[in-house]
Amino acid sequence: MAKVYFSTWRGEFIDNRDLPVEEHKESQYKLPETYEADRDSKAFVGWDGLAIFDADVDVVKMITEYAAKYQEYSEACGRCAPGRWGGKILHDLLDKIARGEGAHSDVEHLKQIAQSMQETSKCEIGKTVPNPILDVLEHFKPTIDALIEEQKPSKYYNDDSISYIGKITAPCMDACPAHVDIPAYIEGVKDLRFDNSLAATRQTMPLAHTCGRVCPHPCEDECRRANVDEPVSIMELKRLGADYETDHGFDWFHPDEVKELKNDGKKVAIIGAGPAGLTAAYYLGLEGIKVDIYEELPVLGGEVAVGVPEYRMPIDKYNVDIDLVASLPAVDIYTNHRVDADRLKEIDGEYDATLLAFGTRLSKKVRAKNEREDMPGYWGAINFLDQINLWEKYKIGSPVDLTDKTIVCVGGGFTSMDVVRCSVRANAKKIIMLYRRDEQTIINNTTYEEYHEAVEEGVEFIFFSSIEEIIEDENGHLKELKVNRFEMKPNPDGGRPKLEKIEGADFYIECDYLIPAVSQSADLQLLPEEWEVELTSWNTLLTDGKTYMTSRPGLFAAGDCEYGPMTIVNAVGQAKRAASVIARYLYEGKTSLSDEEIMEDHLRKLRVYDKEEKVTGWLAGLAREKSEVLGVEERKDNNKEVNYGFTQDQAIAEANRCMRCYYISMAVV
Amino acid sequence: MVKFYLDGKEVTANKGETILQAARRNGSYIPTMCYLSKVKPIESCRICVVEVEGTEGFVLSCSTPVVEGIKVHTNSQKLFQHRSDIMKMYNVNHPLECGVCDKSGECDLQNKTLEFGVDSQEFSAKDMHRPVEDWGFIKYDPALCIMCEKCVSTCNEIVGEGSLQVKLGGYGSQIEFTGDDCGNCGECMAVCPVGALVSENFKYETNAWELQKVPAVCAHCSSGCELFYETKHAGAFTANEEKIYRVSNDFEYKSLCGVGRFGYDVTQRGGKDEKEFDAALSMLRKADAIRFNSRISNEEAKILQTLKERFGYKLLNGEAYAMQRFLKAFGSTSGERYYNGTLEDVKNSDFIAVIGTKVADDNPMVKFHMNMASKNRKARISYLHPIEDASIQNLVTQNIRYEVGTEEGVVALLVASLLKGNDLPSSVKDYFEELDIGNLSAESNVGEEELERLERALVRKNAKTLIVGSDLYTHGRAENMAKLLGLVQKYGDFKIVMIPSGTNTLGVANICELDASAEGTVVGYNAPGDYVIGMDGQLSTPPLPQQEGTLTTIDKRVVPTNAAIPFEGYTLNDLANALGLDAAHTIDYTVQLPKKAGYKAVEFDRLLEEYRPYSPEQNGYLLQNGAESVAMDLEEIAELPEYNGTVVYNCDPAGQMGALSAKSKNLCADDALLGSQQFAVAAKIKDGDTVRFEINGEKFVKVFKIDTSLKGVVAMNPLFSKGLSGDMLCSDYRFHKVNINVESGHNE
Repeated sequence: MAKVYFSTWRGEFIDNRDLPVEEHKESQYKLPETYEADRDSKAFVGWDGLAIFDADVDVVKMITEYAAKYQEYSEACGRCAPGRWGGKILHDLLDKIARGEGAHSDVEHLKQIAQSMQETSKCEIGKTVPNPILDVLEHFKPTIDALIEEQKPSKYYNDDSISYIGKITAPCMDACPAHVDIPAYIEGVKDLRFDNSLAATRQTMPLAHTCGRVCPHPCEDECRRANVDEPVSIMELKRLGADYETDHGFDWFHPDEVKELKNDGKKVAIIGAGPAGLTAAYYLGLEGIKVDIYEELPVLGGEVAVGVPEYRMPIDKYNVDIDLVASLPAVDIYTNHRVDADRLKEIDGEYDATLLAFGTRLSKKVRAKNEREDMPGYWGAINFLDQINLWEKYKIGSPVDLTDKTIVCVGGGFTSMDVVRCSVRANAKKIIMLYRRDEQTIINNTTYEEYHEAVEEGVEFIFFSSIEEIIEDENGHLKELKVNRFEMKPNPDGGRPKLEKIEGADFYIECDYLIPAVSQSADLQLLPEEWEVELTSWNTLLTDGKTYMTSRPGLFAAGDCEYGPMTIVNAVGQAKRAASVIARYLYEGKTSLSDEEIMEDHLRKLRVYDKEEKVTGWLAGLAREKSEVLGVEERKDNNKEVNYGFTQDQAIAEANRCMRCYYISMAVV
Repeated sequence: MVKFYLDGKEVTANKGETILQAARRNGSYIPTMCYLSKVKPIESCRICVVEVEGTEGFVLSCSTPVVEGIKVHTNSQKLFQHRSDIMKMYNVNHPLECGVCDKSGECDLQNKTLEFGVDSQEFSAKDMHRPVEDWGFIKYDPALCIMCEKCVSTCNEIVGEGSLQVKLGGYGSQIEFTGDDCGNCGECMAVCPVGALVSENFKYETNAWELQKVPAVCAHCSSGCELFYETKHAGAFTANEEKIYRVSNDFEYKSLCGVGRFGYDVTQRGGKDEKEFDAALSMLRKADAIRFNSRISNEEAKILQTLKERFGYKLLNGEAYAMQRFLKAFGSTSGERYYNGTLEDVKNSDFIAVIGTKVADDNPMVKFHMNMASKNRKARISYLHPIEDASIQNLVTQNIRYEVGTEEGVVALLVASLLKGNDLPSSVKDYFEELDIGNLSAESNVGEEELERLERALVRKNAKTLIVGSDLYTHGRAENMAKLLGLVQKYGDFKIVMIPSGTNTLGVANICELDASAEGTVVGYNAPGDYVIGMDGQLSTPPLPQQEGTLTTIDKRVVPTNAAIPFEGYTLNDLANALGLDAAHTIDYTVQLPKKAGYKAVEFDRLLEEYRPYSPEQNGYLLQNGAESVAMDLEEIAELPEYNGTVVYNCDPAGQMGALSAKSKNLCADDALLGSQQFAVAAKIKDGDTVRFEINGEKFVKVFKIDTSLKGVVAMNPLFSKGLSGDMLCSDYRFHKVNINVESGHNE
């Protein structure tokens, strides 16, 4: 809900212009009526209409500026006839009216051009830029007529104190926690310019090989192509640029030129070399800001290295992403360097800012009776995967051999899938996954492919089940599990159905190992108590979710240790933002957000994707491409990458399904 | 096949075919401004939209694949209005200078403006200053540019340079020349629908509609690219003399390199010098041998062969002789007369191995096709050569740098890798098992891990091609290498393409019984000799662009070509007739081309009748690939030679193709000796030094330049500036160990 003076946003029509304040209607959308804490916005203009918050806004100047954004934002225009010429004519005619030189015929020409653009522009910007302009022509006709007749500039035509802040977005970009410029990297594939594709990805996402493989792709849930047929296979298309660079041995395609090391004494410490730490280091390093990363493990990459198995994320590919960061002259990395509270205090004194990015590396308990971490046979998922991955990828430690063993894993997320599928590869006799809820939920929590492949490999899933008690043998070894069964009962109050225990349905499973993979928590021992760093209710570091500074000035947190166990792309998104804030913090001594970032947050709140929208101008029925995977017999006893990736034909066909749903939004402040 | 309805009638589309392609194939007209058949849909003009029943809004036909059962309408009042509106936009601020624009008369903007009845300008926009840019051979006028992006797509998808990109920015967007590796091929200009890209040497020369188009085949290399010589009389004072004004081509489907497009100014004006004709005849009468190069037609080769048969001349053509022997040895294991691959196969490959050629310079068309494979099929490309070529880093996925001279060992290692896992007869299997891989690997410097990587790249590939070049044909151990390669054709699922070193080397090798050497008097035909006929000779005869006849291309295709402009002097046929043969025209020999080599007894005029310009198909016919008797006498690998010290590699740059193109003033390639910094150190020379060295008695004095794209201690030595004697060096192994002396130092 938002208080508006006038709104045509997303099909609503609210006109409070002639109504007394008490009769004002509110908008049902979360429109950005407040731009920043101490700055109200006067209006918001976008692809779906416009919303005016302050009656004293110069609508003609506003839409002229909106048309100018189209000229300014080079990423998405100049590449089709209606957009290139139409956009220019639109702006020139509006400006002519706004500066007091317009004619009534100009309004007619505007409408004609607007229609051409709406019908056939290459991307959604061209199709949608006319929308708010036509709204103004329709609903503010007297204002426009007056300007034409009086031949006077519009009210604030020459007022420089008003900012018109624009931002390019797209439904997928908005949904991506790292706000990757997805249409641009897909366009690179379509143009067969894989170098451009990768450079576009790396603007906000340094881990292109990695997130072209193991991202749960929330973008695809908000892909507008789904309104026509099926979402574009966005994630896999990311691989093409990354593979191009690697396969041809090119120097790095950075999004911008790497700035020279500043050498001004300012430096940043990062605790943890996982996705969040690497990402922050990359963007600080690109700016030439000195960064030191301290990593506890002997290897780099965090959970993606020691958690995600080789068959899903080959380490030689991840290492390319890591090398990208390590190659920057401003970045130094120290492994085997555990940071405890004393060391953190030292670092805090030595560095101008510190980013905590140490993840969540403690396996949570399943909360059964007699659950003891030191019981032989009880094996936390993190430790289990550490041992497997350190051996399989780096030959550190010793291999895990589960020959003749029965494994029970409790989970339902990606980590549990990794546990059971690694157990398959470690030659376990029998592997059982216990999950509290149903099959569809496990698919929603992971991916259809991940679940389906685990089943193919012989993992037995028992749904609606949880462990009540762990039973040990005479030597104190884990021996047997007592398992309860549940059923789903609809919730009479609406909302999520409730699980109810089925009485008398308990059963026992004999097993050699129980691997809890229900969730992980952050290991907070490194926080000096006297700092009294504020935590969230689930014991992660508390920040405002915008600047990522903790309660202690100069101490930032990003990734799982801030959010709780979440995705790689979430860690990347947070760390990218944190790096940007830190870069300013070093020189301004306070946290701040750029207009780009403020707009980004507003748009996310508003939601760019509209799943109800009826999309026109695209032929339905072009199926989403699926890449080939290794057959189950070819994969289940080894670490070969399961997914072959797209063939070039598939990739090009898939890229062609992208509708380039760029939009321009603008706030008047 | 997918069924759908096109303007009311039921038609079919191939799987993956777009609405536009299917419509064009089925005879429905959809206008376009940015569509170019040979590249991916660009989607900038938006004119090709169509209506599909049940789908709201217009659908872009160029990039939308046909879906079963859809009902498409390609024309309606609404569509016409929309297309007309776009044409109005295209005309906003387009300079009205058609009268002096080189594109006038063949301009798409002009044509479609008329077609859509745009006769007035309702819209206007504030214009901006857009200065003309100099792109080397070509000038770019952004004010005339309609941003269709055909040039950008062609440069990237066909040529593989990526020298052009879109400089984004709304109305201010334009095409940006990055200059990276631009090889001056002129493909961008060829596809430009308006006058934005014009070549410097054509600018303001003539009106397009005055030119005659003479369909021909390029004379400069073996790719057999089809082109049109565009000619008219040379001016008011030379009314009878025709001149070539430019070369154009069917750019919709086909391409040309820069030498083909700009190297047309190599024609000669001849007169009938009877005295010299008699002198030539008397030399021929007493000659023991005729030496000639491969820049001749199949018919001329047939004349020379007939002269040999009649009068016992020895025929000397070193490079064709090398190829002849190579093919013969190849046939002894492959069981077939010819290699089985074509340029089209290269384009469709998902794996390519290249050995024995600096391919980007030796044959630009092969490189173009490799690029298409790389872009469209993500082809893995292993490039095996002593000189790593940084200019094709965007194509190559694996560089294997071997030691100069060790080709035989490398071929053995490569063939063993390519055939791994194939069913081989025991004798062949034994041969490879007995190879001393460790030793070959050490001597050639091709690591076993490099071969393993190559083998990994072969996994799951189903269109594999092996490209072979003249470093192998001319090598002392050529025949054994050919036998090894023959195994790949016989037992591997590979296409093999051999790059002939000259324009018609393959034709000469097929048609003439060549001799290794000869004693006594030698008459040269376009080649050095005691008396020289043809190029640079005492009696001039028409160069290839002024001849009609056929050529045998890299694809083993026999293609007809025409004389661009007449040549008034004598021809080889006239000499042959005077010696006692009897043919009214050179092309009378077309039907006599040897059937045993796979030629068909088709008359030249019949080939011309079947000539279809503006078609994706190639003209002419393919040679019949005959069976050869198999004799698996593989030899042991000889001891691999060592080339220590400074070595030069005879190689013309991509912008030159030997003695004929060297005559062109339009082309401007550098003939400097190019080497790496490392070479400079080893040879004790500096950038800019004039250096002296000798190859087979041929003396070179050249400026040395450091080329940072080169690595190692091998320098590139262009031969084109040496004219005919440079051509002759193509008969030899291309690497030579030389002593380099500084003639005069730079800055000293």
